[in-house]
Amino acid sequence: MSSLEAIVRELRKAARRALGARYAAHALVGAVAWVAAVMILVRLVPFERRAELAVLGIPVALAIAAAAWLIRRPSAALLMAMADIRLGLKERLSTAWERRAESGPLDDAQRHDAVQHAARASLPAAFPVRVNRGEATLVAILAIFALALALLPNPMDQVLAQRQADRVSQARAAKAVADAKKKIADSGKPSPKDAQIQKILQDAQAKIHEADSPRKALESITPAEQQLQKLADPGTPALQSSAQNLANALSGTAAGRSAAQAISTNPAKGAQSVRDLASQLQSLSPKDREELAKALAKASQQAQNSQMRDSLSKASSSLQSGDAASAAQALNDVASQLDSLQEQENTDQAVAAAINGLEAARQGLAAQADRDANGQGGQANAGASPSAGASGNGNGTGTGNGTGNGNGNGTGNGTGTGGTGGTGGTGGTGGTGSNGSGTGSGSGAASTERIYVPGQPVPGQSENDPTPLGPGQDVPLSPYTQVIEAYQQAALDATDQSLIPGSERDLVREYFSQLGEPRAAK
Amino acid sequence: MIAEEPRVDATRVTELAQSLETELARLIVGQKALLRDTVIALTAGGHVLLEGVPGLGKTVLVRSLGQTLSMSFSRIQFTPDLMPADIVGTNIIGDTDGRREFHYQAGPIFANLVLADEINRATPKTQSALLEAMQERTVTVGTQTRPLPSPFFVLATQNPIELEGTYPLPEAQLDRFFFKILVPFPSEGDLLEIARRTTGDSTPQLKSVADAGAILTAQRTAREVPIAEHVLRYAARLVSATHPDRSELDSVRRYVRWGASPRGLQTLVLAGKVRALLEGRYNVAFDDLNSVAQPALRHRIFLQFEAEADGITADRIISEILEHTAKEPASK
Repeated sequence: MSSLEAIVRELRKAARRALGARYAAHALVGAVAWVAAVMILVRLVPFERRAELAVLGIPVALAIAAAAWLIRRPSAALLMAMADIRLGLKERLSTAWERRAESGPLDDAQRHDAVQHAARASLPAAFPVRVNRGEATLVAILAIFALALALLPNPMDQVLAQRQADRVSQARAAKAVADAKKKIADSGKPSPKDAQIQKILQDAQAKIHEADSPRKALESITPAEQQLQKLADPGTPALQSSAQNLANALSGTAAGRSAAQAISTNPAKGAQSVRDLASQLQSLSPKDREELAKALAKASQQAQNSQMRDSLSKASSSLQSGDAASAAQALNDVASQLDSLQEQENTDQAVAAAINGLEAARQGLAAQADRDANGQGGQANAGASPSAGASGNGNGTGTGNGTGNGNGNGTGNGTGTGGTGGTGGTGGTGGTGSNGSGTGSGSGAASTERIYVPGQPVPGQSENDPTPLGPGQDVPLSPYTQVIEAYQQAALDATDQSLIPGSERDLVREYFSQLGEPRAAK
Repeated sequence: MIAEEPRVDATRVTELAQSLETELARLIVGQKALLRDTVIALTAGGHVLLEGVPGLGKTVLVRSLGQTLSMSFSRIQFTPDLMPADIVGTNIIGDTDGRREFHYQAGPIFANLVLADEINRATPKTQSALLEAMQERTVTVGTQTRPLPSPFFVLATQNPIELEGTYPLPEAQLDRFFFKILVPFPSEGDLLEIARRTTGDSTPQLKSVADAGAILTAQRTAREVPIAEHVLRYAARLVSATHPDRSELDSVRRYVRWGASPRGLQTLVLAGKVRALLEGRYNVAFDDLNSVAQPALRHRIFLQFEAEADGITADRIISEILEHTAKEPASK
């Protein structure tokens, strides 16, 4: 019995060695097969961490093989039977082991015979450690195959580069929005709607960051812009116009000249000057009072804001009637309205800054979306360069939001066209203001901007057909011809109502005529 | 280690078999497989059907076996007019002390060693009389059943080429033979040796090497030889594989009409045990089963007519089965 157990121990040790070598070979085959499979997979599916994935399979295969090696423990009966067959022991060992507890007439003799024959045989030879030639060949073939796949160009590299460029583009767009947020926070001109603006920008930034692609990111910009535009007060232009007219009217009076300058500079300062003027009414000469009353009456007539008009009218009439106290009270009301105007302007500036930030983000994303659509998205670095992206076709759209402070305040939106080769487009037209010239800052259509000009339909396409939207252009666009006409009409109306020299009016007309030329030529 | 000697001295069986083979070989030239299979059948207590063309020494072998064993021997020449009573004996009227009464006169089957020469020449009725006696080891005449002597060993011969006027043995009766041994034509060298030995002025005289008691002891000892479970399963798989509805071999499914019976498995295992002893081993090996598979199974596999037309023999089928049946035990 003890001899049989010793035989089993020796066979088990040899079998563990042989199995270890076999499982190591299996693990090697598995690991190399895994690497080859990964190499094939990354040619079919874009996968960035391919090296990590390929390397990961090696320890996994080894671990599985080691676990299998540890778990698998051949039974003693199996070991004996295998040894019988491989050592030519004619089933002596397996029979002896199976009947080790039996006491038949021949069992002892059989066990004795088995032990004797086992002693003459080399038991470890039953489980030799050897490399399977088939497995070795398979490993070599798979290794060569995997190496070849790793060295040959991979079509998925371009897709990966595009994804990387997309991420960079989205990160830059998100940063542009973040910069706009910071700019608004640091502007030093707080407005009551700053919190809402920051919230809208924060949401837009998050959506841009989380979007799957630049195209998806673009879809989040327009709603944000619409939300921002709702925050702007539509009565601001009328109030600005009224304030500018007041400044113009007061500039011709001795008493109100300093107030006029203050109003032109800044509504808040203007409010303080008007209050100062109200407190000095008692000390004004009758002539100055009359002059001031006339100026206020004129400003009242030109005022588009009803409250401003009423206050100015009251101040004028009170001065003419000699009721300085009532006039002062009316001028204080005017000052309060100028304070209100200052707040509205601050809000509008913050909205404009936010929209500018979103537009900057839009440009970068649209450029990358274009490259993705053209299959050039992989040129991450080139795509990030504004000039490189526009090589070839230099058409672009530019929208500009500008606020101007002058004798009049105005807001304006401008469009511009960019020329081939990256020549900058003309900037957006400035804001319009009554009795003043609005200055507008428009981001000119540089080479990275795109212009969609529905006014130039392709042959066979009606002008009324919906314009095909480009990447990121998720809002319907109005035909250029309609927009330019509306702008032209608004600009000419504004010049008619303002004290603008005739030469300047001609300049505005000439500008719009030039813009209309392509249509006329057509 | 081994604490005690075996209670059965298996070496005596080995020595007995070896001395039998040696003694028979003095007269039978070559035919070692024939001698080995005959000795195995004798030691296992089974009957043998010898098939071969005339003149190959079938009868000489059986007669020589009778000489080497100190046992009663009788020969029955089967002919178409042979009656059952000519084999098992009959009641005859005799005169005993002036009275006439029936006495049983035993037939030639009452011997330890019976040669049934050209068994396929007798009618089925007569064949059945012998085959029933082979199976039951008793003979019933009238109302009395009489046991046959022990050991009882029948060696039947048949000629495979002379089919006219013969009665082929039915399948059920073939199954009662332990082995069917084909007697091959001797090689050229053996032919020369036969000529030298039998054409001189003296013929070798065989001596007796065993008696009935030794044979019975050997038969009991053989049954004690252990066989491992996986070896036994292998034997079962071999037998199972001879059946067309269980075999995975195309040749078996196509050519075999009916496979070996459970008696075939018994024969395979018992013959394997004897062969293990003859090889000086105390356990049955796969080789033992493979070695005895042909004589144990060839008369138990019944082929389709298509096999005959294609020249397929039972031996070829068995060879294919041996080649394709797995020996390694399943993993535990």
